[in-house]
Amino acid sequence: MKGKMIPLFILCLLVGILSACGNKKATTVKEDDKADEQTRKDELVLAIGSEPEDGFDPITGWGRYGSPLFQSTLLSYDENFQLVGDLATDYSLSEDSLEWQVKIRQNIQFSDGEAVRADDVVFTFSEAKNSNSVIDLSNLESIHASDDNTVIFTLKQPDSTFIAHLASIGIVPQHAYNEKYHEKPIGSGPYQLVEWNRGQQLIVEKNPYYYGNESFFKRLTFLFTEADAAYAAAQAGQVDVAVVQPRLADKKVDGMKLVELESVDNRGIVFPYVPSGQVNDNGDPIGNDVTSDPLIRKAINIAVNRKELVENVLEGYGTPAYSVADQLPWWNPDTAFEDGNLDEAANMLDEAGWQMNSNGVREKDGIPASFTLLYATGDEQRQSLAMAFASMMQPLGIEVETAGKSWNDLERLMHSHPVLFGWGSHTPLEMYHLYSTSTTGKGYYNPNYYSNKKVDEYMEKAIHANSPEEANEYWKKAQWDGEIGFSVAGDAPWAWLVNVEHLYVIREDLEIGRQKIQPHGHGWPMTDFIQNWRLIE
Amino acid sequence: MQAGNEAAAHDLKRRRSDKRLIWLPLTALIALLAFGIYSNEQVMVNLQLRNQAPGLTHIFGTDWLGRDLFFRTMSGLTRSLTIGLIAALLSTLLAVIFGILSWWHTKIDMVIVWLADLLLSLPHLVMLLLLSFAMGGGMKGLIIGLTLTHWPKLYRLLRSEILQINESPFIHVSRQLGKTKSWIAGNHLLILLLPQIVVGFVLMFPHAILHEAAITFLGFGLPPEQPAIGSILSEAMGFLTAGIWWMALFPGLILLATVLSVDWYGRLLGKKLQVKGGHHHGG
Repeated sequence: MKGKMIPLFILCLLVGILSACGNKKATTVKEDDKADEQTRKDELVLAIGSEPEDGFDPITGWGRYGSPLFQSTLLSYDENFQLVGDLATDYSLSEDSLEWQVKIRQNIQFSDGEAVRADDVVFTFSEAKNSNSVIDLSNLESIHASDDNTVIFTLKQPDSTFIAHLASIGIVPQHAYNEKYHEKPIGSGPYQLVEWNRGQQLIVEKNPYYYGNESFFKRLTFLFTEADAAYAAAQAGQVDVAVVQPRLADKKVDGMKLVELESVDNRGIVFPYVPSGQVNDNGDPIGNDVTSDPLIRKAINIAVNRKELVENVLEGYGTPAYSVADQLPWWNPDTAFEDGNLDEAANMLDEAGWQMNSNGVREKDGIPASFTLLYATGDEQRQSLAMAFASMMQPLGIEVETAGKSWNDLERLMHSHPVLFGWGSHTPLEMYHLYSTSTTGKGYYNPNYYSNKKVDEYMEKAIHANSPEEANEYWKKAQWDGEIGFSVAGDAPWAWLVNVEHLYVIREDLEIGRQKIQPHGHGWPMTDFIQNWRLIE
Repeated sequence: MQAGNEAAAHDLKRRRSDKRLIWLPLTALIALLAFGIYSNEQVMVNLQLRNQAPGLTHIFGTDWLGRDLFFRTMSGLTRSLTIGLIAALLSTLLAVIFGILSWWHTKIDMVIVWLADLLLSLPHLVMLLLLSFAMGGGMKGLIIGLTLTHWPKLYRLLRSEILQINESPFIHVSRQLGKTKSWIAGNHLLILLLPQIVVGFVLMFPHAILHEAAITFLGFGLPPEQPAIGSILSEAMGFLTAGIWWMALFPGLILLATVLSVDWYGRLLGKKLQVKGGHHHGG
C-alpha cells in the first residue's frame, strides 16, 4: 500500500520546488498592512549579508572590512577615499615618522553614557596588539595617553600603512570590555545593540550619545538570511534593503530600486609558484609542476576573456580585474593589459615548448598542461567563475578540472593547487600580505609561496615610507618597475579575473547618498555611512 | 489432446513474455546508461548560450552557464541510476545474507532484528544524511549510506518468508536426511526466495533513487561537477525566481517518469512471479 506514496512524494517535491517563491509572496503580502507602513517611517529592515560569527568585537576583527556600526574609529575614509577625523579631531606624525599624536574629541560618550577617554583608545590598541588576532600591530612599540584627550603611538619603524589601523579598529570602552563584549558591544558609533538572535536577526537602535550626524532611522533590523530568501522578502515588501544576485538584478521589484556599488571585491586565481616536491610543517604538499612555469601563468592571464566573464557570469555587474587593487591610489595603471587574446597566448606556449598533443592538451617534457582549479564550495558565483574559466582554457590546450572544497580542505590544498579566492581591501597592506616572502603560508596569505627579493624590497620601502604618496610610488614599483614586479608583466603569480559589483535592492524613497568603493565582504561595508541615510518624500 | 496443446501454447507464450519482461528493461537500462556516458561528454560550458528557453537545438533549454540541459539531465539521471542500482543491489544482498543468518541461529536473529527495528524507527532521511556524511560523502558515501538504510524492509519480508518455509515438510525431510544448514539454505531457501528477492530488489531501486535525489537536493553527497538529478533540481531552485522554469521542470519530469516506470515494472514483475506482499516495500 505504501508504495503509492512514491509518486506522491515526487509530486510534492516538484510542486514544492515550483511554488517555493510564489508561496512566500502570497502569504506575506497580506501582513503588510497600513499600520505597519506608519511605524516603518523611522525604521529599516535590512537583509544584506551574512552574520559575523565572531560577534561584534573590533579587537577580533569586527568592522575590519567596513564600518563597525557600534563603535567608531579614530579616523575614517570619506566617499572620496580621503582620511578624515572621526573620533579623532586632529592627528600628526613626528619628524622621524615614528610618533603619531592623535587628539580625540572632547566631551563625548559611549552608548552607556560613560565618557570616551584617551585611556580607552590606549586600552583598545594594547588589547589588539596582545590578542594575536587578525590585526597585526607588531610594529607598534608603545602607546600611551599624554593627557585625557591625546594619545601617542610610538612605532618601531616608520610605517606608512599604520594609519590604516587608525581607520579600521573600532574603539572599545575599557570599563565595559569583558569576555561577553562580542555579544553585547558598547561603543561610540551611530547605533547601539538592542538584541541579537544568533542565526536570525540583529536589532539596533540609535545611539543617543553619538557625536556625528544624527541618524534618520531610530531602529534598524538586520536579517540574516540566504540571498534567495532576502530577495523573496524584498518582493513581499518585508525588507527595505536586500542583497540581490546578478541574475535577478534586471527584474524590477515593486517599490524598490536597484543600487549598484562599485567594489574592489575581487576574484582571482592563485597559482602555486614553485615546482612540486616539498611539504610544509603540516605535511601539506607545496608546488605544482604546471603552474610553476611563468609562461603558463602569463598565457592564462592573456587568454582569459575577463569582459566575457563579467558579461556572462556576473551579468554585467562587475568589472574586469587585472590586479589585486584596481583603481586604488596604490594601483599601477601600467599593469593593465589586453586580455582575451588566445592567439598570443598560444604562440607564447608554442615557443616555450608546450606542444599540443592529440587530445588537444599541451604537453612539455611529458607533463600535460592540466590542473584542478579549486573553489569554496557553496559559493555559486565562484563555482560559475571557475567553470567558465575552465571552458575558456580549453581552446588554449590547458585542461582545467574544477572542484569545490570546504575551507578546511582548501587550507590543505591551496599550496599545491590553483584556487579561486576573493580579496579586496582599502589598505595596500593587502598586497604585502599576498605577495611578500615574509607572509608565505600564513593563514590564507601568500598561499602559493611567491617570492621575489626585489618585490620584497619595494614593499618594505613602501611600508616604511614617510608619506602615503611616497609609499604609493613604491607599491606601484612592486607591481611593475619596468623590469620586474608581481603584476602580469612580471611574475604573474595570480590571475585576477573580476571585481564583483555589490548589488542591492532598496526601497524607492530611501536615499543612501554616495558610497565609497566597497571592499571584500558583501553586506556590512554598505553600512559605512548609514547615519546619513534618509527617506525622501 | 486439444486442451493439452492449448495449454502448451499458452505456456510458451507466457514464457516468451516472461523473457521479454526480463530482457526489455535490461536492454533499456543498458541503453540509458550508455546514453548517459555519451551525454556526459556533451555537457559543455558555453557562455554564449546561457539561459536559453527550450527550443529545437536545445530541447530542454540551457542553464546559466550555457550547458545543454537535456544532456546534463541524462548525465545526471545516469549517475542517479547507477548509484541507485549499486545501492539497491548491495542492500538486497545484505537483506538476503541477514535473512539467512537470522534463520541460522536465534542469537544472531535477535541482534539483526534489533538492528532492523532500530533503523526502521529512525527517520530514514536523517539516518541517510548521517551515514553518508560519516562515510566521507561523495559517491562512495552515498552508496554506503543508501545500502545501510534500505535493507531492513526486505530483510523483514525475507525473514518471515523463511520462517514459513522452515516449517515445510521438505525442510524437515532434508534435516532428517542429515543435510547441513548451508545445503538447505543453498538448495531450498535461496531458490524459493528468488522471486521475492528479485521483486524486492526492483521495488527498492526507485526508493534508492528518490532518496539519492532528496539527499543531493539538500546539498549533501555529490559535487556540482558530477550532477545527480537531485543536485540539478536544487541548482534550478535559485533560478525559478528569475523565471527560468525549464531548469527545474524537465529534470523533475524525467525523475518522475523514471521512478514511476521502475515502480510499475516492479509491480508487474511481482504479479507475474506471484509474489505476495510486493507492496510492502513502500514508504
